[in-house]
Parts: sequence; structure tokens; C-alpha cells
Amino acid sequence: MKTTDPGPLLRVRNLTVTFTERRSTPWRRPGAVTAVNDIDLDIEPGGTLGLVGESGSGKSTTARAVLRLVRPSGGSIEAAGFEVGSFGRRVPIAYRRAVQAVFQDPLGSLDPTKVIGDIVAEPLGIHFGLRGRERDKRVAELLDQVGLASHHGGRYPYELSGGQRQRVNIARALAVEPKLIILDEPVSALDVSVQSQVVNLLEDVQERTGVAYLFVAHDLAVVRHASDRIAVMYRSRIVEEGPADRICERPAHPYTEALLAAVPDPDPARQRLQRERRRELRAAAPAAGPRPATGCPFAARCPHRMPVCAETFPGWTPVPDGGRVACHLFGGEGTARPSDTHPDYQETSR
Amino acid sequence: MLRMVVLRLLAMIPLVFLVATGVFFLGQLSDVDPAENIVGPNATEEQVAAVRAELGLDRPALEQYADWLSGAVRGDLGESLYTKADVTTSLTQALPITLSLTFGGLLVGLALGVPSGIWSALRAGRAGDRAVSLLATVGQAVPGFWLGLLLIIAFAIRLPWFPAVGYVPPGESLTGWLHCLVLPSVSLGLIAAAAISRQTRSSMIGVLQQEYVRTALSKGLSKRRVVVKHALKNAAVPVVTVVSFQVTTLLGGSIVIERLFAMPGLGALAINAVVRRDPDVIQGIVVLTVIVIVLVNVLLDLSYAWLNPKVRSL
Amino acid sequence: MSEVKVPAAAVSGRSGSRLLSRLVQQRATLFWAAVVLLVVLAALLSPLLSPHDPLKGNIREGLLGPSADHWLGTDKLGRDVLSRLLYGARVALLAGLEAVGIAALIGIPLGLLVGYLGGWPDRIAMRIVEGVMSVPFLVLAIALISVLGPGLTKSMAVVGVVYAMTLLRLTRGQALAAREELYVDGVRVAGAGDRRILFRHILPNITPPLIVQVTLMIAGAIIAEATLSFLGLGVQAGQASWGSMLSDAQASIRESFFLALPPGLAILLTVLAFNQVGDGLRDLFAREAKGGSLGVNPVHHESGSGQPPPPGLVAADPLLRVRDLTVSFPQPGAGRVTVVQGVSLDVAKGEILGLVGESGSGKSVTAMSLLGLVPDPGRVAASAVELDGRELTGLSFEELRKVRGGAIGVVFQEPIASLNPAYTVGDQVAEVLREHEGLSRAQARARVVELFEQVHIPEPDKRIRDYPHQFSGGMAQRVMIAMALACRPRLLVADEPTTALDVTVQGQVLDLLLELRAETGMSILLITHDLGVVADVADRVAVMYAGQIVEGGPTEDVFRRPAHPYTEGLLASLPRNVRRAGRLPSIPGVVPPPSAWPVGCHFADRCPYARPQCLETPVELSARGDDRATRCVRAGELTLAGVGDVPAAGEPLPPAAGRPVVKADPPLISTRIEKRP
Repeated sequence: MKTTDPGPLLRVRNLTVTFTERRSTPWRRPGAVTAVNDIDLDIEPGGTLGLVGESGSGKSTTARAVLRLVRPSGGSIEAAGFEVGSFGRRVPIAYRRAVQAVFQDPLGSLDPTKVIGDIVAEPLGIHFGLRGRERDKRVAELLDQVGLASHHGGRYPYELSGGQRQRVNIARALAVEPKLIILDEPVSALDVSVQSQVVNLLEDVQERTGVAYLFVAHDLAVVRHASDRIAVMYRSRIVEEGPADRICERPAHPYTEALLAAVPDPDPARQRLQRERRRELRAAAPAAGPRPATGCPFAARCPHRMPVCAETFPGWTPVPDGGRVACHLFGGEGTARPSDTHPDYQETSR
Repeated sequence: MLRMVVLRLLAMIPLVFLVATGVFFLGQLSDVDPAENIVGPNATEEQVAAVRAELGLDRPALEQYADWLSGAVRGDLGESLYTKADVTTSLTQALPITLSLTFGGLLVGLALGVPSGIWSALRAGRAGDRAVSLLATVGQAVPGFWLGLLLIIAFAIRLPWFPAVGYVPPGESLTGWLHCLVLPSVSLGLIAAAAISRQTRSSMIGVLQQEYVRTALSKGLSKRRVVVKHALKNAAVPVVTVVSFQVTTLLGGSIVIERLFAMPGLGALAINAVVRRDPDVIQGIVVLTVIVIVLVNVLLDLSYAWLNPKVRSL
Repeated sequence: MSEVKVPAAAVSGRSGSRLLSRLVQQRATLFWAAVVLLVVLAALLSPLLSPHDPLKGNIREGLLGPSADHWLGTDKLGRDVLSRLLYGARVALLAGLEAVGIAALIGIPLGLLVGYLGGWPDRIAMRIVEGVMSVPFLVLAIALISVLGPGLTKSMAVVGVVYAMTLLRLTRGQALAAREELYVDGVRVAGAGDRRILFRHILPNITPPLIVQVTLMIAGAIIAEATLSFLGLGVQAGQASWGSMLSDAQASIRESFFLALPPGLAILLTVLAFNQVGDGLRDLFAREAKGGSLGVNPVHHESGSGQPPPPGLVAADPLLRVRDLTVSFPQPGAGRVTVVQGVSLDVAKGEILGLVGESGSGKSVTAMSLLGLVPDPGRVAASAVELDGRELTGLSFEELRKVRGGAIGVVFQEPIASLNPAYTVGDQVAEVLREHEGLSRAQARARVVELFEQVHIPEPDKRIRDYPHQFSGGMAQRVMIAMALACRPRLLVADEPTTALDVTVQGQVLDLLLELRAETGMSILLITHDLGVVADVADRVAVMYAGQIVEGGPTEDVFRRPAHPYTEGLLASLPRNVRRAGRLPSIPGVVPPPSAWPVGCHFADRCPYARPQCLETPVELSARGDDRATRCVRAGELTLAGVGDVPAAGEPLPPAAGRPVVKADPPLISTRIEKRP
């Protein structure tokens, strides 16, 4: 271990990704959709950042931007010593070695015409030039590491179960000994009983290899289990960020609160509370207004909406137990805050 | 909607221009010299040159092209080198014949193809479906002109119900016109029917597996209503695509059928023009068919908009 | 690329032999392949096989019928038809190969390239293709032949160029689709470059459809050759081609119609053979067999054991009573496979019963079978399916359809896909009313607006005119619910109604279901994989595993004190919003497929408590207490952990059932809840 701070492994600043809509008709001007709007992320070596949000929040686009599968339209991404923004069409092979990925659809992310052994072997050939016996040995090792038997190497992806396929994806990612693995909804396509197997496997791998994860998911409970820190995304913005337990126990942002109230719990007693909470929040929310063009994207649904919310996106305010929140309830001058909420954070709004 | 039609029609102009230009300059590459054809094999160099000058074939290609184009935008597509007949007039005489055949064929194709495809899809995998599918596969393998030949043998020679050859304009005798179109339309249409039937069947099977069909059933609708209301409209989109391909194919196919049934349509014009290389005539035919096809496709696009509300809301 | 050592032999052997064995099953394809082979042989051996010179004939022996010397007779010039036919095969095949060869050489690489590159090369290429394809094939061929001059080689080259456009478009489309596939991202992230992705990954994946297309194209080219030769634009006059033979036949049609038969049939047979081989290949490459017509399978009546299920699955005042429901599907090579085994359950009036299980448990099939909506080859049987005292087994389609949408409403998982994209939502909801209650158009419309209000769709009178694609998932699900409620059903079957929705929307839909139940007193059969959803709304729960109900009882009791090891494992492995305490418990292994279910306990091989006796005989459901049922031979001796027992670090246990649920609860989500008295 170096004594000096090595700095974050992944450092994202002001990342913005804009898509031009496909032109429906030749004479129509293509519209633009901002999928990711001015977000910052940091991941320390060996750490796990959970990125949580609903569909369309931009969480997967963020993951794909880090992987350079989409081209950012603004901001910077530094990962493992590379400036991702400087890449042209060709991504340096060394970057692919440092940053790997596991995607949501375990079957779709495997080439259906190749057997498992070849799929796992491919990066070994590309990155290390491994051939023949040596490579076979390494493939067997990798399969073993993710809990697959060597006979699975001869199977086609469609012959494996969902959990086994995701293990193959993990083995392929591990093959190049990366520093960071982007996990884009890695367990959401799996059954509950298999989900936990895969989450555990990911934790084992991290313990053994010290790899860092960007864990992207919509399920806050899963993310909490897997992450040290969590960033909450809503409609292209990160609205809150902080240590996993703090976020999940004492959320600051109204959206995080709503999200937590919606996480179902199998304990009927706890779930009754959850249900009450979610009804309260909904009752407090204004009738769904139009989504403001500027300002906070949550304003339309927010129980604490203020005029300012529709005008500007709030700046960051630190939260006492760690992390920060982007909400007008806490920061800025001349902004009022309903006194009956968030007594814990009274002092943070100074 | 109207805007869409107008824009589609405007978009047609560059396409027609592109195709006409392509055909013209390709023609310039040919080593067949119409002047030699006209004066005959025993003519001297000078005679050939004289004819060439007389026809204006010795001018630079660009000049010839500009000449043709300036005529074309005014509706004058030039004249035949051989018969001196005005191309625009020849085409306007021949086009109705070809169109009659094309749409006759389309009618037969739709009338047989769509119902048989639906019927087949509803009993997919069973004997009736296999029989229809087999017929459709055979239908796709039959050359249209052979089918025409067989029809002539059967229904014009053996059973003299229909004329074997010739064309009667509808202005002359409406029944005569319909009568003379039956055999050629059937020989064109059966093949189109095979393709339409196959497509209808497969897209119908696809739609029947959609979740909204399950929803329709769960509402307690009758099978008939589920098929006719919920499945058919959605299954129609790919069928319309195939139909638009079929219009193109039918238009081409009618060239052969016209020849078989000795009808003076575009096909007869085209074949003569090709054999002798009569540039203006070929050019005119190509431009005209492209225009016809684009117009048909605009019509079909309108039907897409009716079938698919997503297109409409654009 | 060499294969991994261990499986290498197995790999090639496996996949190759598997394709081969499937091919052998396709007898018809083999037959047509043999026909193709015969035509090829005839073409190759035509000089040896032909009894006469195909080009010379004795004009005095013209138009002879079939005879020992001339098996197929002679044409007008006295040439032997059989010999001309054999030589014609040669012309046809050569022409086909030439055209398709040219098409493949131009079309496939270009299509691959522009499809993968996209951008302006793609746009330019597609404009050209569009232009070329807007001219009818024959017109274009004729125009080009007019440039090149007639002759078979030139003509077929022209045909090849035209076909290249089709192949280009197809390849490009396939490549474009393949480029969007996730596996391409997968190998790109693994470090593969463009060339590797294109040739190692995309090409093998799009090869099957290309092979099919090329095969079909050969057939097309053979017809094209015949057509052009028939028009005199193909082979030189006099030469033997099937097309020119037909042209000759036409000339002497009034003297001998027989002449038209051999060449026509030869074309037909050859083209048919190529088409059939192409279709056969398509089926061969297709991963799963397609099929299925309108899937409707009423429930057959079959007398069952007659034994009532244990408590926990029965209700005193049942609205729905299901006994011994079994669903099976035919499986190639395995006879019939049972996917739902003897399910018996009751849904009480006004009750919400959660039917919970993972994929493959049979929960959805169970629900669909009640409505007769199991897809086609399936067979459904039960000793009783009673709705409000009315027996539904043995009903015909027509009788059952009065129940569907009437007394039973259904809500599916994917709301937008479950609505017909071609009609407005108002129309689709009104349809149920018009069908079952015979309302007029205006009456139905007014009622739909009411229904939309009831499910809280804002601006209902406006929204009824919208199409499904104009709705968000949550709103579309409200439409589905409105549709299901239209005829005031006694029972609502909700198949994963919240799974496809965002978590915050999920809660709204569940609340709506609770609200509607309170308003209408209907019962709900809620099918879900989500234990949290069950905990939220279900009064009672039935847990399914591998086709069987393994446990049943009041939700709270079952989740607190599960009586089946599977329920315990499922509850434990569910990630919850609690402090993390090391590893998540998990159930090892996977759900066995229906064909591999053991005789004994289906869960035994994943069960930590399994004993040899578990596997010996089928395990029956047994009573546990007076309101529970479990399917476990060791039920009596095991004490299993439930949700109250989560050993989370730093977290007090939630209050036991019965005690007021207040302060003792851990800081759940927000300070506000903690403050509540």
C-alpha cells in the first residue's frame, strides 16, 4: 500500500450525455434528450458505489458512458488513470483491461454462437495472447472461481440457467484482472434465490481481488447489500449521494425517501409501515404537474415543492452523517423549508 | 396527413431524377450503336456517320442528356429512333394495358392470399395449414409465364372460354376488356397470392402470440372478433409491405405476361426497344414505372398510418 | 481460435451432431435436398445422360409424342426434348450460381460494412439500393441488358447485381440489428476490435438467415433465367434452356401442348426444391419452434383423489375452488411434461390470495389455466374449478368466454404490450362492456369514463381517445385494471401486475387494488414472484415450487414462521432494506426443469434439511395447525426461520405478531415514522 492517497479509481465530473432522437421523418428536426445531466461520481479502489434509480433515470447510460459505449457530450471521466473523454473511435486495449462490465441480460450479453469456454477465453487471447494449454488452464480456473464446473465450458449459453450465465459474464470480466467492473443491473433478471448467490459471488470476488464496482440497479435493497456508498439518480440527475446505510436509513432527498417507502419488505409488519408511509408521501405530493424544463426534475412530484424548485437545480449541501444532497430544502438563501420534516437536518441548512 | 402525402410526392422527384440519369448514362456505355442497326449491316462508315448525325447521336453525352431532360420536364420524353413514334404517346397508350394487368393480378393475389393466409394461421401445424402452405410454396415456385401457358392451353384452347391472345380496350367493350384480362390476371395473381398468403400466415401467427391477443381473449371475446378485430389489423402491417413489393413484381411480371398474351403494353414496347436499343423508349419506360411504383407506395404508406397509430401521431 | 481443452471435442461433436440429428428429423428437407442433388447430377452428367444431341434434330421428326427413342418426344425442329431438358438443367444451375455468386460477393460484404459502420456510408448505400429496388426487377434487368446486349452470361450478371441489392439490404439490416445486441457490447468491453467483432461475432450470428436467403435466391435466379430466355434475352436462339424451350412450346402450342409440360415441370420442381431446402434450413437454424394458433384450452374434467386439501389452502366461504389442477405440455422426445401438478386451493370471498413462486414454478400457468388461456398444445385438467358454486370444468369455449371478462377479470404483467396498439384504450375497455353487457356505444363510453375515474386516471374523458403507446406503464396498468373491472367481476386474476413497473409506481398500483377490493368486495388471485408485494397486500399466501404448492396459510404466519424449507430459503435470500450482515443467505442450485422433477420432494436436492426419505415417495401436502399446509416430510420436526428472525447487525428484531407495530421498529426510512405514537 502506498502511503500517499492514490486518488479515486473512477472520477466522473459534470458528465452529460445527450441523445439525438432518431428522426421519425426526414423533414423533422431531430430532438435531443438529455439522459445524463451534469453528474459527479467517485469510486475508491476496492470500493463499491451503488447507482440507483428508476427506469429512464440515466443510470445505465452513465454506466455505458464510463465503458465508452456511448459518447459523452460533456464533462470528464477519469478511470484507472485514463481520460475517457480523450478516446477516439478506438478505445485503448489497456482501458478495456482495467475496466470491465457485467450487463443485465445474462443471455443477451453472450454470443449465442460460441461455447462458454470460448467466451471466457476470448479476452485472454486479446489481452495476454494466451494460447492453447495455458489458456485452457486459465479458463478452467476462472470457471472454478465463479462456481462453474469445467464441463460447462463446452455448453452454449442457452443451455445454462440464468444464474450460471451471469457467472459466465463475471468470469469473462474477471479474466483480464480489471480494477473496476461496471455492474449494470447484474441481478435484476434473476430469480430471488439465485440473485443472492450472484451478489455473494460478487462480494467474494471483491474480497479476493480488490476490484472496485459501480453497481447500477433499480432495487435499493440489493444495492444497499452490495455497496459502501450509494448515489441516487432521478431523471438524469444525481439528487443524493452518501454512505449506503445513511442513505437507506436517513434519506435527505424527498425522492430518496419516496423510493425507500416503495421498497417492499417481506415482513408484513414492516410492510404495513411502508405502505402507510408511501400513502402519506403520495397524499402530500401535489397533483402531478408538468415536469419543469429547468430546475429540479422531482419538483413535479415533490411533497415539499417550492417555487424555486421549478427554476433552478439546487446545489449540493453536505449531510451530517456523510454524503450530500441536492435539494432546495437544505441549501441556499431565502429558501423556506417545511418545519415538520427532516428535523435531523435542521442544522445542515444553516 | 396531407402534408405527408405532399412531402412524399416531392421526395419522389430526386428518386425519379436519379434513376433516369442512371439509366441514361449507363446507356452511353453500351457498345450497341442504334445507327448501325438502322442502316443495316452492309452500310459504309459514312452512311452510319450520317445517320448518327441526323439522329443527334454524335453530340456529347451531356448535351444529349440536357436535351432529353429539358424535354422530359415538359412531358416530352423524346421519340423512338426507329419508328419515330412519340414516346409520351406510346407510353400513354401502353400504360393502361400494363396497369390493368398489374391491378388485375393484385386483385387476384389479395383475394386469394389474405384469406388463405389467415385460415392457415388459425390452424397452424394442422393438415389444412400444411395443405395451404404447400400450395403457397408450389405457387412461389411456378414461373408466371408457364402458368399462363398452361392456362391458355386449358381455358383458351381446350375449353375455349377465354381469348388466348389480344387486348380489348374498356372503351371498346367493357365485357371484352374484363374477359381478356382474366387469364393474364390469374397467371400473375396466383404467384402474388402465394407470397401474400405466406406473409399473412406468418405475421398472423406472430400476432396471435402477442399479449394483447391474450388480453382480448381474457375479455371473453369470441374467436372471430379476436381474429378480425384485434389480430388482423396488427398483422396487416407486414402484409402491406409484401403487397408493395408485389406491386413492383407484378408490374415487372406483366411484361412477360403481355408478351405471352400478345398485348401491346409496356412489355412489348420494352422488349422491342431493348433488342434494337432505342434509348428514349427505354428511358421513358423506366421513368414511368418508377413513378407508378412510387405513387403506389405513397398509397400504401397512407394505409400504414391507418393501421399503426404510432405513425399517425408523428 | 482453438477451443478450450476439456470441452473441445465435445463442443464440435455436440453442436454438429445436434444440428444433424435435427436435420434427420426434417425428412422433407432431406427429400428436397435429394431433389436438388438430382438436378445437379443431371446438369453435370448431361453429356453422358442425353440420348440425343440437344441442338440438332430432324425436322421431319418434329413434334413427336413420347416414344422409346424420344422419351419426352421432340420439338418442332425434331430435337429430343429429354436431351434439351438435361442440358437445360446445366444452363439453369450455372445461371443461378452466377447470379447468386455475384450477388453474394457484392451484397454481403458491403451490407456487413455499411450496417456496422452506419452513418453516411450507410445512408448513401441505402439511397442507391432504394433507387435500384424501386424499379421492377424485370424492367431494370431489361434496361441493363439493353446496355450490355443480350446473352446468358451478361443477363445473369445483371440479375446478380440486382440481387446484390436485396442481399445488401438484408445483410445490412441483420448487421444493424446484431450491432445493437448486448453481446456485441460484451465482446467490445472484453477488448475486441471492430474487425474481430464483425467477423468473429456478428458474421456467425447472421450467417443462418443469409444462407437461407441465398438458397431462396438461387431459386429466384433460375426463374429469372427462364424468364429472360423465354423473352429471348437469355441464351442464344436454339440453345437449350428451360425458358427457351417454353418459348418454342408457345410457338407450337396449338399443335402440341405436351411440349409445355417438361420444361415447366423441371423449373417448378427445381425451384420448389431450392425453396423447400431454404425453408428447411430456416427451421433448422431457428432456436425454438414457432407455432401456436389462438391459444385456448378449456379445463377438462378429470376425477381426482377426492381428498380435500389441508387447511391453509381451503376457505370456509370460497369464491373460487380449485381441485387437482394439472397442466401438461407435449415435449418432443419426452411425451407429455407436467408443469403444474395437482394444485388445489380456495380463494375466499373478498380475499386476496397471493400465489408466489419463482420462474418455472407454474404459478402463471395455474392462473391462466383457470381461464382457459393456456397456449395451444397444453392440456388442462382438474376435478373441480368452481366459481361461486358454478363448475367451470368441461365448459366449452363459448360457455367459458362468458365468464372471462365477466365474472373473472384479468390483469397481466406488461400493461403496454397487453393493450392492442391499433385501437384507442377507450375502445378496448368499451369492448368488454358491449360484449358482456350489451351496452350501446354511448352507454359504454360513459361507463368507461367512470371506470377511468375509479382507477384514478386523470382527465378520463380525454384519455379514452388515446392509444396505448401514449401511456406510461403505470397509467397503462390502470387502463388494464379498468378493463378487468368493467363488468364488476367477482374475481380478479392479477398476473404479476406490478413487476414491469417502477418501484414507486408499483406501490400506487397495489394501493389501487386494495382500494378497489374494499369498494367492490371482489376477490383477487395475485400471482407474483415478489414476497414484498405478497406481504403488502395478500391475506393468504400459497407458495409454489416446481409445479406444486409447497406451503399455504395466512401471509403473516407463513412469513414469520415458514413451515417449508423453500419458503424459509426464499425469505432469507431476499435482499431487504436492513443493515448488511455479511453474506446474503441463498438457496444453492437451480429450479429443476419439469422434465427432471424427482418422484419425491421437488426441492430435496437444494434443501439443507433433506434426508434420504425425502426422495423416496411423492410428498403430500399435510396440515400444520388449523390454518396451515406444508409439503414437507420433516415438517413436524423442523423449526424454520421467518422474516422476524433476520439476524441483522445493530438492528432490533421487529415486533412479533400481535404486538402493536410502533416505536420498537428500527429506524425504517424517515424520522417522521419514528415520531409516530
